[in-house]
Amino acid sequence: MKSTVDTPKKKKKLVQENRVGMFFVNSWLIFFALISLVPMAWLLLAPSKTDDQVTGNAPLSFGNIKGYLNAWNNLRFFDNGVIEKWVINSVVFNIAIVIIATATASLAGFVLSASRIRFKRVFLISTLIMMLIPPVALVVPLFVLMDKVGLVDNPLSVILISSLYPFGTFLSYIYYSTTIPAELYESARLDGCTDWQLYSRIAFPLSGALISLLAFFAFIGNWANYFMPYVLLYSSENYTLPLGLGFLFNSTPAINPGVGATSVPIYKPEIALAGVLVALPILIVFLLSQRRLVKGMLAGSIKE
Amino acid sequence: MILMLAPYAFLLVAFGVLPLFMAVAEVPGPSLTNADGGWDAFSIVVQDFRFPVAVKNVGGFMLYFIPMMMITVIAMALMLDVKTTKWGKYLRLAYIVPASISGAVAVLVWWAIFEPTISPIKSVLSFFGVDSARQIWQTENLTYLIAIMAFFAIAGNWILIQYGSLQNISSEIIEAARVDGCSAFQLAVRIKLPLIQKYVVYMAVLVFAGGLQIFVEPQLLNTGVYTGIASSWSFDQLSYELAFKAGDFGGASALSIILLIPSLIGALIVIFKTDMFDVKTNADKGADKELNV
Repeated sequence: MKSTVDTPKKKKKLVQENRVGMFFVNSWLIFFALISLVPMAWLLLAPSKTDDQVTGNAPLSFGNIKGYLNAWNNLRFFDNGVIEKWVINSVVFNIAIVIIATATASLAGFVLSASRIRFKRVFLISTLIMMLIPPVALVVPLFVLMDKVGLVDNPLSVILISSLYPFGTFLSYIYYSTTIPAELYESARLDGCTDWQLYSRIAFPLSGALISLLAFFAFIGNWANYFMPYVLLYSSENYTLPLGLGFLFNSTPAINPGVGATSVPIYKPEIALAGVLVALPILIVFLLSQRRLVKGMLAGSIKE
Repeated sequence: MILMLAPYAFLLVAFGVLPLFMAVAEVPGPSLTNADGGWDAFSIVVQDFRFPVAVKNVGGFMLYFIPMMMITVIAMALMLDVKTTKWGKYLRLAYIVPASISGAVAVLVWWAIFEPTISPIKSVLSFFGVDSARQIWQTENLTYLIAIMAFFAIAGNWILIQYGSLQNISSEIIEAARVDGCSAFQLAVRIKLPLIQKYVVYMAVLVFAGGLQIFVEPQLLNTGVYTGIASSWSFDQLSYELAFKAGDFGGASALSIILLIPSLIGALIVIFKTDMFDVKTNADKGADKELNV
């Protein structure tokens, strides 16, 4: 009896112990948060200013809301408005990738969890291996392959390669395995459900959380992708926004002292706006779904 | 069932397995440096004068990057786990912000931060006596500059993930340790850290494999910002140059394979030596049952 009374008091004392230590911990946590915000703050604020203001005014000051519009209009002077092409390419490619990757991964995960097909273990292990190898490791052989089938500089190559989604397949395998009891499939089979109906009528309607998780990871993994499209696409009208941003570095004097003055009005605010177009969609998705990130990356290993 | 697996299986074979075999098949092809072809492409690429330079650069970069990642991320996650005020939520949101600045955007933003004329940390730079970008952007400084870029691009994600793994520790263990008189520090180092060990291994493998393949940052700095500062600086840049500048696909493939080996070993360690991906699920149990029927 006595000990049960004692414990909460003791606990309270223990939690509050070492105020100095806690002060340093909290200060560091807040300091790190501020550091984390500075680069993004600079990027978001720079396009609101003129090139002179970017240098002259306080680095984290706001210029004018019209600055963004102005920078966008200037960006459109570059290469006959190719920036608009880049935006459209980025959006279209990513929609295609997210849809194909999510659909194929969800189906594959379902089959791996609900069936007794042969080579299931081989599939799972090769999926895990592909998921732990950085995708850029295969860029050179992928280029050779695409060259052989004549898809170099064709957006289809980037879309297809990026749609291979082993991590998504693994996530959906875990999801279906843990949320849908095998008995449900068994009784549905007895009632005459075909394999496709098992997926379309039972598994898919129960996978809202999974689909959003798959789409989230597919999007953040591909939106800012650089190396693979850089190797596969060489016409600037096929570029995505990240490639276009790199192209702007190369071909304007905005941040590259090696390029001489040009007639195109691309300076720091314009380059920064192009950077915002790449970073902002990811930032928004991250802020809205930070829980998904943790849930997905730890999927399968958390045992209740 | 097979038909429903087919689209993924096609992608896996076409863009995962096939390229691996193609890389191997490509190696013995003749090229300028390996005129009569053959498997000595491996030794030729290792003897390329740029290879040891890349070893030095990427090695130096990893020497900063990996400890920086592992120590900061784990320490931050443990600290966040101690602090249980409502502020924690906003702090975690702040940590994730730099994760949206990667690749090309990271080059732009970190160029600005280390350019004293426009830098948001101008006063810090001048405190260290830096008043010209030339003092910073030198080839020999790239190991830590690129480590900083790569660190901020992924640290936030991992802080959140490891914080998530800490939430998974049962509160009974923590209570018991507290009652036994563990301080917050002892609790973190002796109880929590060993319990999240496998997530730490998982992270180490992914961070290592990713670091080895560093490409965008040095490549864009080299071609787009300070021309020549990081020419064939990393392995992937060398591989890119071999393939697309010299047309030496044999050498580039050989280099890709050499780079794949450590990643592959890491992947196999995580898969077979930790229980990270050991899924004990009701479907598995069900499948066993079905097999018995």
